[in-house]
Amino acid sequence: MKVKVDSSLCRGHGQCVIAAPEVFRFDENQKLVWVEAPDARLRRAVEEAADVCPEQAITIVGD
Amino acid sequence: MTRLRQLPAIALNESNEMSTRAVIAEADVPYLDVSDPSFSVRSAAVTDARERHWYARTPYGIAVLRYDEVRRLLVDQRLRQGSYAWPALNDATGAFAHWWSRMLLSREGADHARLRRLGNPAFSPRLVTSLKPHFSALANELIDAFAAAGRCEFIADFSEPYASRVICILLGLPHGNWKKFASIAADMGLALGVTFKRDLVRIDAATLSLFDYARELIAQRRALPLGEDFLSLLIKANRESEEVLSEQELLDMVVLAIFGGIDTTRNQLGLAMDLFVRHPAQWALLGTRPQLGRAAVEEVMRVRPTVTWVTREAVEDFDFEGLRIRRGTTLQMFSQAACSDPRAFPDAGFDIAAERKPHFGFGGGAHHCMGHFIARGDMTEALAILAGRLRAPAFDGEPEFMPDSGNTGAIRMPIRFTAGG
Repeated sequence: MKVKVDSSLCRGHGQCVIAAPEVFRFDENQKLVWVEAPDARLRRAVEEAADVCPEQAITIVGD
Repeated sequence: MTRLRQLPAIALNESNEMSTRAVIAEADVPYLDVSDPSFSVRSAAVTDARERHWYARTPYGIAVLRYDEVRRLLVDQRLRQGSYAWPALNDATGAFAHWWSRMLLSREGADHARLRRLGNPAFSPRLVTSLKPHFSALANELIDAFAAAGRCEFIADFSEPYASRVICILLGLPHGNWKKFASIAADMGLALGVTFKRDLVRIDAATLSLFDYARELIAQRRALPLGEDFLSLLIKANRESEEVLSEQELLDMVVLAIFGGIDTTRNQLGLAMDLFVRHPAQWALLGTRPQLGRAAVEEVMRVRPTVTWVTREAVEDFDFEGLRIRRGTTLQMFSQAACSDPRAFPDAGFDIAAERKPHFGFGGGAHHCMGHFIARGDMTEALAILAGRLRAPAFDGEPEFMPDSGNTGAIRMPIRFTAGG
């Protein structure tokens, strides 16, 4: 599974950081960073993050 | 540069209004008396202030007035949600104040994140998609009742029953309960108004009866096999997950969903109708192109949000755009002023077909409105159907509004129209 974040849509709400903290986090400059190819066991958390993003900026590619 | 450097630091830890005023006395920065009952977020005073500076001083801290500054501060982690302090600042105690202090909006950090994670499945966009046919059936049923007459009182005949019955749909309840919900939500909503001290007995009675109702509802739902509906998903979070939603948190969340869902949606739909009555070409456009329903919701919330400002509080000292913001400072994000800021919207007139930057009607950051998919979904259906069936609406008497600050909306809005569709 690959995780993509559309930076033109992302507003930095951080709902993904709340939903899937193992995959998404803010760096010291409050910039969003994420694991691009997370472990398959995190699938559900990543799906939740994509679901909950207010701007719907996250897409998951492949399994 | 020099001018900005001279600005005094702001320290607003004290809830005492007098000391607050004294500390931030500063001639260069505009002052807005948001505590004045006649204050309006849409007044020329606010527009003038926004042209003079990115912020204004107020009796309760600072008001942030421009789009870019609001956008950045809303997601800034050096700020926390500010309305948690409401009971303390107003010496409010009782059922509403206690619930307010416990519920999602007042929590921060790991505790807040746990509650959001547990609540997320119940508020997912997928659940909303499955409910859309019910929303449109409801909108049509309500319109059927008054279409032939060619007139209605839009709040009592549409926005209030619609907002309340959407909650019945969400919770899987018989619709016969909607009036009870509506009156509870309205009474609890008084807590957020300027006259709340006078209304406290009513506010607390409403809060207690909503808790009784939520308790009963959860017990009834637990007696049946759980499914993928809103209540089931919350109940599962209460018993199944690795993290646990406590019994009290489950109740608080159901109460928040009912209160937060009805009051805001009813108000926002009334404001939408007000805006469209004043912009008949936009309404006609929506009537012929119902697929613009979602864009119409976004544009209405940009131009006329029911939540006219969102409160934040600094959790540390920091510098922002030349201003030293001290820990404890209250910042009011003026969503209304920011979303008509000509720096971000050079052509800011109401236009549902225009490409727009996101508005702040649902707040932002960690505390972004949890029910926004539901609100967007139900208002999209409502506006698209209304525009098709109520042609050329006009006021049929003066509409009455709540004060144009804090959470606003219409109380009464008689309209007449030509029935169509």
